Amino acid sequence: MNRKISFLTIVTLFLSVQANAQDWPVPADQNNRVNPQEYNLANVNKGKDLYLKNCKSCHGDPGKNNALPLVPPPVDVTSDKMQKNTEGGLYYKITNGRGAMPQFKTTISDDDRWKIVNYISNFSPKKQPLLVDAPPVKAKLLASVNERERKVEVFAESENNGIFTKLPNTPITVSTKKAFGNIEMGKVLTDENGRAEFVIPETVIGDEQGNVNIVVSLDDNYIADIVTLDKAKVGQLKPTPKLIQKGILWSTNENIQIWLLFSYIAAAGGAWLTIGYIVFQIAKIKRLSKE
Amino acid sequence: MDKIESAAESRKLLNKITFDLTRSIVKKDELTRFWFFILIMFAGVGLWGWTIQFSTGLGVTGMRDYVSWGMYIANFVFFVAVSLIGFLISSALHLLKINWAKPVSRVAEQVAIAAVALAGVIIIMDMGRPDRFLNIFLHGRFASPIIWDVTVITTYLVISLLLFYIPLIPDLALMRDRMGKELPKWQIKLYTVLALGWKGKAEQYKIIYHTLRILMLLIIPVGLSIHTVTSWLFAATLRPGWDTSILGPYFVAGAFVAGTAAVIVVMYIYRLRYNLKDYFQDLHFNYMGKLLVFVCLVYLYFNINEYLVPGYKMKLADGIHLTELFKGNHSGMFWIVQLTGLLLPIVLLLFPYFRKPLPIAIISLIVMISAWFKRYLIVIPTLEHPFLPVQNVPVNFQNYSPTSTEIMITIFSFVAAFLIISVLAKLFPVIAIWEYAEDQGIDKKYLTENLKN
Repeated sequence: MNRKISFLTIVTLFLSVQANAQDWPVPADQNNRVNPQEYNLANVNKGKDLYLKNCKSCHGDPGKNNALPLVPPPVDVTSDKMQKNTEGGLYYKITNGRGAMPQFKTTISDDDRWKIVNYISNFSPKKQPLLVDAPPVKAKLLASVNERERKVEVFAESENNGIFTKLPNTPITVSTKKAFGNIEMGKVLTDENGRAEFVIPETVIGDEQGNVNIVVSLDDNYIADIVTLDKAKVGQLKPTPKLIQKGILWSTNENIQIWLLFSYIAAAGGAWLTIGYIVFQIAKIKRLSKE
Repeated sequence: MDKIESAAESRKLLNKITFDLTRSIVKKDELTRFWFFILIMFAGVGLWGWTIQFSTGLGVTGMRDYVSWGMYIANFVFFVAVSLIGFLISSALHLLKINWAKPVSRVAEQVAIAAVALAGVIIIMDMGRPDRFLNIFLHGRFASPIIWDVTVITTYLVISLLLFYIPLIPDLALMRDRMGKELPKWQIKLYTVLALGWKGKAEQYKIIYHTLRILMLLIIPVGLSIHTVTSWLFAATLRPGWDTSILGPYFVAGAFVAGTAAVIVVMYIYRLRYNLKDYFQDLHFNYMGKLLVFVCLVYLYFNINEYLVPGYKMKLADGIHLTELFKGNHSGMFWIVQLTGLLLPIVLLLFPYFRKPLPIAIISLIVMISAWFKRYLIVIPTLEHPFLPVQNVPVNFQNYSPTSTEIMITIFSFVAAFLIISVLAKLFPVIAIWEYAEDQGIDKKYLTENLKN
């Protein structure tokens, strides 16, 4: 009984120490580092994507205080506690982690970690928020494929009561259409004329003729029809698998495992050689009868 | 037994043995003709069913996309199982120098030959395009268990035929020399050709003993393989109920049960029909009964293992399979089969009364029928429960039930097996005369005496 109590005491102490470990010291040189990534919409957006993939599962949605109930609790992004950190401090903590907070040194690149810091800064009272929850804007997309130069050329406009204005500095998503959905090839920002050029990667695989169906779209901040460019001959030929493929265990005799073939031949051969010997002996009975 | 010195006594006893054991060959009465008439008629009906299936396609059977192995494969497994008895009785018991099994060994070989030959035929009848059977030899892949199965069944058939034929040679010579008057000319001619001019020389006997010993050793691995490879056709898949490493020995143990029962039934028919009370004695039935209990106990052990371990864990797919067997659609058949095919013989055959010829023959018949349904339970329930749900298909795709054509063709296989056994019994003695005579103390020289009758 005594042992149980002392055990419980230790556990409680340990937990309270964990919970009270408010300060997470950051080395001074790290604390004062300057974010090499510019604080702009593209970087903040990228940081948002990374946050949603890597951080949200514990830290929850910004401002909603719906973090996982861990000890110590993951801090909400908009909270003072989070925002008290310097950018260098945030970068240090994301990089190295502590306790239940994993390190992201090995899974997220330096630049991307700084972009997550950019995203966190978006909620800082000291900064002008770049992500605003504005109602979506009507927009229009025009796109064409330059097959020779392997480029998708895009022109984006926003519409306001029949008046079209160019959309500068807007992210355009270029994807390929596949059987079960679209695969994003990449993103590109429009220039000041609302135009963008996206270079199609060499690695894109098309159908048997190398045709790719390209989908061009704006993000959720815009209401615009998605542009689908059918059968652009910009992809690699789709490899056609043969029905009977080599290298599969049961498919061909050429690829049979040696031990299997050896066992089969040894067993069947041994049995039939013995049978042959028996038949030879039967012939000997007949020969003996004639003598 | 001691040697009989007196020549007259030897000749007299030999004549009696020969007379008794060739009665099956000489005896020709209405019942024999009727029996053959019935067999040939049913075989004809079965073949007619097969022509229907051949011209219409496998759609006439109850097999559909999900249950693609139906009654035919269950029947195939049953026949392969029965054939294994040749290995147990004529090899294993012989090599263990168990003398009482000697007169039984030819019956065992008859059963083995008929069963394994029909097993091959059933596989061809299971094919929608039997003409494509040749593809196995032309394009077969050595990595496929089907090839192993075809190989091992062919090998086992040949070895069984040799095991039947080699001990028959001295008997053939005996009949060639003695039966000239009683039998038609073609039959004597057949014996003459098959006897290879046998003269009963010591070297010739030596060759017979030598080859028999080799064959008995050879049939052990081949006999074990035939049923193990057949089990691998199932065990090499990932399906619940089949995907177990115990399936090989499980099949072999079950085969011994079915085969022993088959041999007892055939023995009883011979004893009754050809008046062989002094040859298939109560003693033989007694020992065969004990053998049946023994193999049943082994099979019971495997059965417990086979159902207890997955039943303890009840993994999702295995659980569905076992529930189906224990209290689902197949539970009636399952419990009857376990009861009549396993528990009943074990319990009853412990009492000497039930090891007497008639009771044991009846029990064996029940065991055989149960063994057939047991194979049905091995094949079909598993196929009815694939891993992915069965949906959007007609009702007759979901559950299997054999059609009349299928049943006709399955009956053909039984009738054809009986026909093979009957023909063998009508052509050759059902017990090796020379071996039996020698056991009774008759010198071998009297066997080949040139009788002028």
